[in-house]
Amino acid sequence: MNAFLAPNDYKSPLKPIWCPGCGDYGVLQALYRALSAVGRPPHEIAFISGIGCSSRIPGYTTAYGFNTLHGRALPIAQGVKLANPDLLVIVAGGDGDGFSIGGGHVPHVIRRNVDLTYLVMDNQVYGLTKGQLSPTSPRGLKTVTSPMGSLEQPINPLLTVLAYGAGFVAQATPADMPGMTALIEEAIRYPGFSFVNIQSPCITFGEEDQQLKAHKARMKPLASLGHDPANQLAALDLARAYGTELYTGVFYRNPSPPPTYDALVRQRQVELQKGEPRSRSRVLDGYLKA
Amino acid sequence: MTPVTGIDFERITLRDALDLAVLIEEEARDRYEEFADQLAAHDTPEVADFFSRMARIEERHRTELLERRRTLFGSAPSAVDRRALFDVEAPGYEAARAFMGVRQALETVLAAEVKAHTFFSEALPRVKDPELKVLFQELREEEVHHQALVKAELARCSEKPDDSEAYADDPNAQ
Repeated sequence: MNAFLAPNDYKSPLKPIWCPGCGDYGVLQALYRALSAVGRPPHEIAFISGIGCSSRIPGYTTAYGFNTLHGRALPIAQGVKLANPDLLVIVAGGDGDGFSIGGGHVPHVIRRNVDLTYLVMDNQVYGLTKGQLSPTSPRGLKTVTSPMGSLEQPINPLLTVLAYGAGFVAQATPADMPGMTALIEEAIRYPGFSFVNIQSPCITFGEEDQQLKAHKARMKPLASLGHDPANQLAALDLARAYGTELYTGVFYRNPSPPPTYDALVRQRQVELQKGEPRSRSRVLDGYLKA
Repeated sequence: MTPVTGIDFERITLRDALDLAVLIEEEARDRYEEFADQLAAHDTPEVADFFSRMARIEERHRTELLERRRTLFGSAPSAVDRRALFDVEAPGYEAARAFMGVRQALETVLAAEVKAHTFFSEALPRVKDPELKVLFQELREEEVHHQALVKAELARCSEKPDDSEAYADDPNAQ
């Protein structure tokens, strides 16, 4: 049993350099609080990120951290989890990192059901590189790379991960800090791949109607709609409103979580250890048979 | 959305109420420290200094309340958790702006003091215990006093309204 760990125990001495008013400040605080509630000490936690404003998060915590390549946080996080299944692995990144550059990794982490938590700070724009169109930018959005308005249909992160079969899918906003803290905690505690889409506005390049003030007026907790998080079809239906409605809460939580990939790998290792040890030459024989 | 969750003001004890008040001040102190760091990192030292001063003021309030709590209840463990509250007296994260001026900073503080006053005003009718009612009234009145101090500073502020926006750079596109 660990001694009580306060939120500040997860805070590193490095000061965040996000723009004042950025939603990521709230996300970071919620994360500290959620980690304190979960109670795992920093040395048992690994934060993995890609590239982007939100991908700076590993540096702001006292846990292990790896600021990896753009879009490659998920494969590295899976490797970390398989190498040391006892670690609590949390992946943090933006919508561009997760659904454009790293989009190809999303289905595979979900189908494998690796026990990690993926927090996407979705601001509908590439903020770090000064405001280009991102995969979740709404159609018609004027940016430096779409000066006459985007012609593209945005990706719907909620629908995407639900369609691939994610066991835990939620959406949060820093406009509701207690709600976001509780969701992050729940996602971390979920035994399997968990995904939280956090509508974290970009104060510098984001739209006015996407800022926290607007979120406070617009957000609708799913619980207040009487949504049953065990109902996957209802979750899919609600997720379709991404971009028009700001639903917060758990869209879907698999009531019977399947075994995780890391647990299955461990089980396979135990089974193999029970049998006769394979000599190096026998392993090589396998390759020579053909 | 209520800034305090899981606390029943009809049943709250004096000790818990004092602990809550301490945490409210602590949260405000932490937020002002964060704002000071944010503005310092964005080359706005005047406003960073102002928020640092606000953090020291909130810390003083916290210490005073903590002393009172210790005098009355010693080191009895607290039943109130920081997770129970959010943004009671602390300004919202959205209030900070790169290159904001002192006037904007003062307006941010004033809005936070008004918010805290509203919180105590709304909680008061639910409080039944007479001793507790006195404490909440006192805390509410302090917010009125703080508002007056901030308004006086605003009146002395030579910066014109919206001045800060005039010299803030537009974001540069690549």
